[in-house]
Amino acid sequence: MDKIKKFVFPICLFIGGGLLIFFLARNDAFLYQQPIIRIIKVENSQPQKITDEYGNHDQQVDQKLTGKVLNGKYRGQIFHFKNTFTKSHGEDQQFTTGQDVFVNYYHQHRKSKPTVTIINYKRDAYLFLLIWLLLAALFLVMKLTGIKAIISVAINFVLFLVLVQLDITWNITNFFWIFAAGAILFTAISLLIVIGFNQQSLVTFIAVSSATALALGLSYLVTQLTHDSGMHYEALDFATQQPKQLFLASTLIGLLGTVMDASTDIVSTLFELKQSQPKIAFKQLFLSGRQVGRSIMGPLINVLLLVFFTETFALATLYFRTGNSVGYTFEWTMSLGFVQAIISGIGITLTIPMASLLAAWRLEWMNK
Amino acid sequence: MTTLKTLLLILAILVILVGGKNGFKAIISFGLNFCLLFLSVILIAGGFSPIMVSVLSGCCILAITIYLSDCQETVANTAFFATVIVLALMVIMIIPFDHLVQIEGFSSEDSEEVEAFNLAIGINFESLLIATTILSTLGAIAEAAIAITSGMQEIIEQTPAISSQNLRKSGRTIGFQIMGMTFNTLFFGMFGGNLALFILLDKLRSTFGYYLNSKIFVGETFMVLYSAIAVIGVIGVAIELMVRKVENQQVKQD
Repeated sequence: MDKIKKFVFPICLFIGGGLLIFFLARNDAFLYQQPIIRIIKVENSQPQKITDEYGNHDQQVDQKLTGKVLNGKYRGQIFHFKNTFTKSHGEDQQFTTGQDVFVNYYHQHRKSKPTVTIINYKRDAYLFLLIWLLLAALFLVMKLTGIKAIISVAINFVLFLVLVQLDITWNITNFFWIFAAGAILFTAISLLIVIGFNQQSLVTFIAVSSATALALGLSYLVTQLTHDSGMHYEALDFATQQPKQLFLASTLIGLLGTVMDASTDIVSTLFELKQSQPKIAFKQLFLSGRQVGRSIMGPLINVLLLVFFTETFALATLYFRTGNSVGYTFEWTMSLGFVQAIISGIGITLTIPMASLLAAWRLEWMNK
Repeated sequence: MTTLKTLLLILAILVILVGGKNGFKAIISFGLNFCLLFLSVILIAGGFSPIMVSVLSGCCILAITIYLSDCQETVANTAFFATVIVLALMVIMIIPFDHLVQIEGFSSEDSEEVEAFNLAIGINFESLLIATTILSTLGAIAEAAIAITSGMQEIIEQTPAISSQNLRKSGRTIGFQIMGMTFNTLFFGMFGGNLALFILLDKLRSTFGYYLNSKIFVGETFMVLYSAIAVIGVIGVAIELMVRKVENQQVKQD
C-alpha cells in the first residue's frame, strides 16, 4: 500500500504540474506586447505541384485562416489572413486550428480595420513543457542534488548573456578577450557549484584553464602557420563582427565545456583514490589518471563529432539536393564545425596528462 | 596543407601519444562514425526515410562507440542495452514534440544563408529534424552510459556483497557528477556554437518573448534539452540495470 502511495503521488504531481504549466503558457497572451491571434478556422486550397530545375518535386498549398485576437487593442475581434506552405516545410509551416501566432497589424487607412500578417508561431508552451520534463526526470533520478546542476547551467547562461551584452556595448576590436575572461568565470562558477570550494576544485580549475589555453593557442598557431587555407570564415552563420575572432571565441566556449568534463572526471577519481588508499604513490596516481582519461577520450570525441555533424544535416541535405558535389558541400557547410570539433578533441587529449599530473602532484605534496 | 588537415593530424598524433592502444581504437571509432554520418546525409538527400536512416545508423554508431571504448565486455553489454532502451523512449518523445513545436527547416534568421536556394526540395524537413535530433543525442547518451556502468562495476568489484540500496545510492552519486559535467559539455557547446546568433539577436534588441518563441532559439534549446533528458534517462536506466544484474548474481551465489 505504502509503495503504491509512494508512486502515485509523484506521478500525479508530475502530470498535474505539466498540465498546469501548459494551461498557463497557453493563456499568457496578456503578458506579451505583440498581438497574438488564435486560429479558429482553416481552409486549404488544392495542392499545387511544383518542380525545380534539379527535378525535386514538391507541393504548395495556400491557406485561408480565420483567427481571434487574444490581447491588446483589438482583443476579441476576428481577423482573416493568409499563409502558404510547401509539403517539405523548408522555411514555412502548416497551420491548424487552435494554434497561436504572433502577428503584425498593417493600417491601410487611419480609421479602418487593419490587415494582419503572421510573424511567428507561439512556441513558449512547449518550451516550458520540455523544461518541466527535464526537471521531473532530474528529480526522479537524482532527487534534490540534481537541481544543483541546473542552477549552475542557469547562472552560466545569464553570465553568457551579460558577456554578449558587454561585447555589443563596448564594441572593442579585440572582443575575443571579453569571452576569454568570461571563460575563466564560467569555469570558476561551474566548479564551485558542482564540486564546492576545496582543493579538488582548485586543481581542476588550474587543469581546465591551462589545457584550454594550450589547445586554443596551439590551434591558433596552426591557423596562422597554414595561413587559414581552406577556412571559410565568411561561411560562419549570422556573423556581425570580425569572423575569425568570432570563430575563436565560439570555439573557446565549446572547448571549455569538454575540457571541464574530462578534467573533472580525472581529478575527482584521483582524489577519491587517494582517500581510499592514502599510501598510494605519485606514479601510480598519475597512471590511474591517465587510465581514466583514456577510457573517456574516445566517447567524448564521438559526442563532439555527433553534435557538430547533426547541426549541419539540414543545410547539407539542401546542398546535395540542389546539385552540389560532396567536396563543395563539405567545405561550405561542415568544415568550420569540423575544425571546432577537432580543436575540442585536441583539448581533451591535452587535458588528460595535465589533469593527471596536477592532481597527482598536489596529492603528493599534501602528504609532505 | 590546409588548416583542417593539419589540425586533424595533430589530433591523431596526440590521441595516439596519450591513449596508446586505446588511441588507435578511438581513431577507428571516430573515422567509422564520421563515414556513417556522411553516408546518412547522402542517403537522406537521396530520398530514403530520414527516421529509418537515423535509427539504423544510430544503432551502428552506438555499437561502435560503446564496444570500441575502453570498457569491459559485460559492462559494455549493459551500457548498450541501456542506451537502446533510452533511444527508443526518446524517439517516442521526440516525434510528437517536434511535430507540435514546428522547429524544422530554416528560420528567418537563416534566410541570408539559404536565399540562393529554392527550399521546395521535396524532403520532409520535419522527419529530417527528428533524424537530426536522434543522432545528436546519441553521443551524450553513449558517453554517460559507459561512464556510469564502468563506475558502478568498479564499486561492485570492490564490495561484491553490496546491498542493492547502497549500490543504487552510489550509482546516484557517480551519476550526479557525470551528469553535471555532461551538462557542461552540452550547454557550453550550445552557447559556443550559437555565439554569433546570440550577438545578432542582442543587436536586433530582441525581447524576452522573442527568445521564448523564435524558431531558431527554441530549436537550438530543444536540441540541448533533449540531450540533457536523454542523459538523465540513461543514467537512471543504467543504474537500475546494474542493480538488477547484481541482485541476480547474488541470488545465484546463494
